[in-house]
Amino acid sequence: MTQVVGSLKARLAIWLLVMVSGLGALLLMEAYGASQRAAERAFDSQLAAAALTVADAIQWEGRDPVVSIPLAALQILATAHQERVFYTVLDHDGRRISDNLDIVIPEADQAAAADAPIWRDTTQAGTRWRLHGREYDSAGWDIQDPVQIWVGHTTEGRRVLTHELFERAILRFVAMVLLAALLMLLAMRVALTPMRQLRHRLRQRQADDMRPLDMQVPEELREMVEALDTLFSRQRKSRDNLLRFTADASHQLKTPLAGLQSTSELALQSHAPDVWYQALVDVHEGAQRTSRLAGQLLSLARLRHMEEAEESQPLDLGALLRDSVLEWAQRDMAAQHDLGLAELPSEPMVVQGQAWALRELLGNLIDNALRYTPPGSEITLGLYANDDGLVLYIDDNGPGVDAEVRHRLRQPFERGGRQDTHGSGLGLAIVDNIAQRHAATLEIKERLPHGLRIEVHFPPSVQPSEEPA
Amino acid sequence: MRLIIVEDDPMIARSLDNALSPLGNSVDAFSRLKDARAALRHDRFDLLLLDLGLPDGNGLELLSELRERGDKTPVLILTARDGIEDRVKGLDLGADDYLAKPFSLAELEARVRALLRRSQQRSDNRLMLGPLCLDPMAGTATLDGETLALPRRERRLLEGLLLHAGSIAPREMLESRVFSFGDVGSNALEVYVSRLRKRLQGSGLHIRTFRGLGYRLEEVPT
Repeated sequence: MTQVVGSLKARLAIWLLVMVSGLGALLLMEAYGASQRAAERAFDSQLAAAALTVADAIQWEGRDPVVSIPLAALQILATAHQERVFYTVLDHDGRRISDNLDIVIPEADQAAAADAPIWRDTTQAGTRWRLHGREYDSAGWDIQDPVQIWVGHTTEGRRVLTHELFERAILRFVAMVLLAALLMLLAMRVALTPMRQLRHRLRQRQADDMRPLDMQVPEELREMVEALDTLFSRQRKSRDNLLRFTADASHQLKTPLAGLQSTSELALQSHAPDVWYQALVDVHEGAQRTSRLAGQLLSLARLRHMEEAEESQPLDLGALLRDSVLEWAQRDMAAQHDLGLAELPSEPMVVQGQAWALRELLGNLIDNALRYTPPGSEITLGLYANDDGLVLYIDDNGPGVDAEVRHRLRQPFERGGRQDTHGSGLGLAIVDNIAQRHAATLEIKERLPHGLRIEVHFPPSVQPSEEPA
Repeated sequence: MRLIIVEDDPMIARSLDNALSPLGNSVDAFSRLKDARAALRHDRFDLLLLDLGLPDGNGLELLSELRERGDKTPVLILTARDGIEDRVKGLDLGADDYLAKPFSLAELEARVRALLRRSQQRSDNRLMLGPLCLDPMAGTATLDGETLALPRRERRLLEGLLLHAGSIAPREMLESRVFSFGDVGSNALEVYVSRLRKRLQGSGLHIRTFRGLGYRLEEVPT
């Protein structure tokens, strides 16, 4: 039974999802970094602008610079996010000329700012600050000493901007993924169209339509369509065989039944007890023949329907042979024959197979031998191993079969040109069928001075490899 | 002997009755499990002939019920099913023998006789066939009422044959019975068989050889 394990679409979708997620994580990490850098840049330039505004406001009163911080500078620093702001102006000795908060500027930073404008991150009383410091040449009358201006603000504005930028990046990304998924679905639909067409064709097919599929398919589906075509042709062959077999079988069953009917009809018209007696003898024989035929047809049908899954197992062919011959030797039918078993090899002769089928094979071989040889004939079964595997044989010293008929014996309903027995002609066909199922071959040979030898050659048994169940 | 037949096909049931009654048996035939079950609870039978596919169930059910309550009535299964599985299952459940339909009445009679003999021996330890009687406990044999003096090995051989009377006694079994240990030559057994044959000459019994299989002690058909 076919089990549905996921769908191709789901499988494709999952793979895409995994890949998109991985890639997306990387992209988002990168987008976050970029947003942060952009926010830093924007606010850093505001710090620079504020510092410049402060610098413009420095005035000199004699030797001392005087700073009155312009409102514009404070506004620039405070941004739209109500930041706390900080500024200080240092003279060249590092003394504070003016400030609003007591944020310590380390000596090293002061020295660095003397060379070039710098930006510093610092934490004061649990709050993060971004500071900017730069040195300006003073423009007093007497003194050429530079002054250092430090401005700074808390980082709330930067955080908010970063988040805003990042959110926009996420939105863009999600929109892209959704669009891509939509396009992917469309693409899958288009790509899977040939499969849908194939399904449609198979669904519309009549149950007995065994013609090959005639359709254009892409390379990926070619193998499947070819496999289906092979299957169809095998089914056609098997159906033809079955029809032929059924026709043959019906014909074969009709013959003895017609005999029964006419014999009993004639007997009913007569009033003589000896006619009745003879008719009863005929009816009895006819019934025996018919029931045997039905049994054989049943086992042929069973062989045909034998599922591949029916497990074969290692069997001791010797033991099976002994059992079967023992059973047959006690049957009424064998009472007039000398049915025997040749000495068997002492070690087990193992074949891979199905016990019931092999019993059936042996039964048919023995039944045939008993049926087609005169009373008193010697029938011997035996088994030996050679280089090519195992050979099972049955010998008889009956009349034998002409060479030209011998090769036809294994065909169904063939009786080797004999009409004098109640055989159905199915025995060897069954044997041949079972042999084939066990990868064995059937050989029919002549015995001298007269008689028949049938050999079944089994391939060497392959020890089944130890596979975990 | 009292026989019970459980068979739903009236034609087969009638022919079984017609074949087995003249042998001196009283035959009760039932077509349904239910009736047979009731009969088996009330009366004691010497043999049950049991069909498997019955209108109100599978004959194997009746067999397992019987064995579960310790009823050892011998059971011969008759069925159209040719599957080896059913046969094995039936024998596993405690059936004594098995006959696949269609069967010849002669074969049926032979099996029934063998089963009845075995059933009788359960109550009587002596092994008997026709004019021959062997008491394994006392180690004495009589033929037509006259004592048959047998050396040990011949007696053991005869015992083996009688235990399987009606069917083939496998050669291996006879060999291990007659020769207590060690490897024996392939025709050592044949020597004792032919001695026994001479003793049985003219008694209405003979030992038939089945090449490679074994021997069967049988009554010469008259």
